[in-house]
Amino acid sequence: DSHTQYERVGADVTMKCGSMDWGSSVTWTANGTDIDESHLNGSYLILKNVDLTQSGQYSCYEGSSWHLKYQTYLSVGLPPKEPVLMCRSNNYPKGFYCSWHLPSPTYIPNFFNISVIHGTREMVCEKDVFPKNRCHIRYLQLFSTVKYKVTLTVTNALGKNSTTVTFDEFTIVKPDPPESVVAKPVPNNPRRLEVSWQNPSSWPDPESFPLKFFLRYRPLILDQWQHVELSDGTSHTITDAYAGKEYIIQVAAKDNDIGTWSDWSVAVHATPWTEEPKHLTTEAQMTETTSASTSSFMPPPTTKICDKGAVVGSGAVAVCWTAGLVLAAYGVLFI
Amino acid sequence: SPAGDSWGIFTFLCAALCHLPALPALNCSEELGAGQSIQKTYDLTRYLEHQLRTLAGTYLNYLGPPFNEPDFNPPRLARAERVPSATVDLDLWRGLTDNARLAANYRAYSRLLCYLRALDGQAATAELRHRLGHFCSSLQGLVLSIAGVMSSLGYPLPVGPSVPPGSQGVVVVAPNDFLKKMDDFWLLKELQTWLWRSAKDFNRLKKKVPPAVVTLRLEARGF
Repeated sequence: DSHTQYERVGADVTMKCGSMDWGSSVTWTANGTDIDESHLNGSYLILKNVDLTQSGQYSCYEGSSWHLKYQTYLSVGLPPKEPVLMCRSNNYPKGFYCSWHLPSPTYIPNFFNISVIHGTREMVCEKDVFPKNRCHIRYLQLFSTVKYKVTLTVTNALGKNSTTVTFDEFTIVKPDPPESVVAKPVPNNPRRLEVSWQNPSSWPDPESFPLKFFLRYRPLILDQWQHVELSDGTSHTITDAYAGKEYIIQVAAKDNDIGTWSDWSVAVHATPWTEEPKHLTTEAQMTETTSASTSSFMPPPTTKICDKGAVVGSGAVAVCWTAGLVLAAYGVLFI
Repeated sequence: SPAGDSWGIFTFLCAALCHLPALPALNCSEELGAGQSIQKTYDLTRYLEHQLRTLAGTYLNYLGPPFNEPDFNPPRLARAERVPSATVDLDLWRGLTDNARLAANYRAYSRLLCYLRALDGQAATAELRHRLGHFCSSLQGLVLSIAGVMSSLGYPLPVGPSVPPGSQGVVVVAPNDFLKKMDDFWLLKELQTWLWRSAKDFNRLKKKVPPAVVTLRLEARGF
């Protein structure tokens, strides 16, 4: 019969060989490997200043008969430090969730217990299946003046610790970022980009609890963002984009009246519409344009027509120019 | 004794004053259209909420610790129930008719205004009196604005803010200085919560009342 023994990092551990006398002749093994006699005090095993690497299965065998007399699993770890607890309402007015974690590992199993007190009432925070360290609560009442007090206690074999957060219903409201952000160029408008997005799916009632949005955008080549705050609607047209430059765009959401801004959405990239080149001054330039537009969907021979037209006769140029135009048109269509 | 307590006198006066008929809605609000009036009322609640932050900070500092500590989370004593609470069951709140929703706001702010005016009367410093006075004026504007919306939608104004029958004539007294400060704390807390709630109430009203409704009403009245 084996059991687990939990010890603190840096502790001195003495293991007795079951019911054997101190004077008996025994052999200790750690994970099957014999332990040197220098660690023995009689039949006791002495481990000084244990560290994490010393965790494992320890067994004690009677000297001559090699009978197994005692076995234990040594698990070296730490008592828990003060946990980090955070509560947030991303689905107002339905309720809120709390999530937690330990700032540093304990290396042994931990048990978490959470309590939520609202005034005189204790509420049940239902543990989520996934992610693990999370639970959720449904609001029974809305617009409460009484604060919520959430206490998280973490316990393991070596100790206990806890933390408490207290908050008003309104202060923890923070939606999830907007979803399905899409940015598209606007045909025939070299300085415009059309951005649209959707309310986060976790926000249950945008009709009664509307969200407002914050849009930020910048060309990739610049560091400074431009910002637009939008009090309604889930789309916006940027009208001051630099022509031909690729942009990075993000959107954030906030309840119209309470709480804080969401994190930024996933970034989308877009480049405003650009006009097709009308004049091709040199053959080299044109070949470049042609090959740039062809990429994977035009067969090489078309390019060769232009290559073969080394002598710039009007006929050859006309063919090349047409081919280039067709290719450019295809390119724009497929962006 | 109750007669000698000035706070008691103020409460009594408040109860008496609050029985006066509510101020009639201004005729001009009907011309605005319910949609615009609702928007204005919504904007007013946001403005007041912002103003209250400064006012509450100043007042709680005047009350001193523990009232001005951010973690201060006292239990709700029964006596504090005089101040109308914004707290409501979610489904109940959702199911409120426009009339009931507006009436709840109207009653709440009328009473809160009364209590705030009493506070103003006792304020010890000139700064506090100035801030409270200014806030009371704005709050009065909100009450009138709500009345205007109700009138433009054809709803009757609630007859004075409701005072529980049992407390009529009975003076509710704060027996000591600490409990008086507690009352002040809860008054400000309820006011803040009402302003947050009203933003949501008026959001809902905004969506539900199209401008066309008012046009019909104006036609019916022969305008």
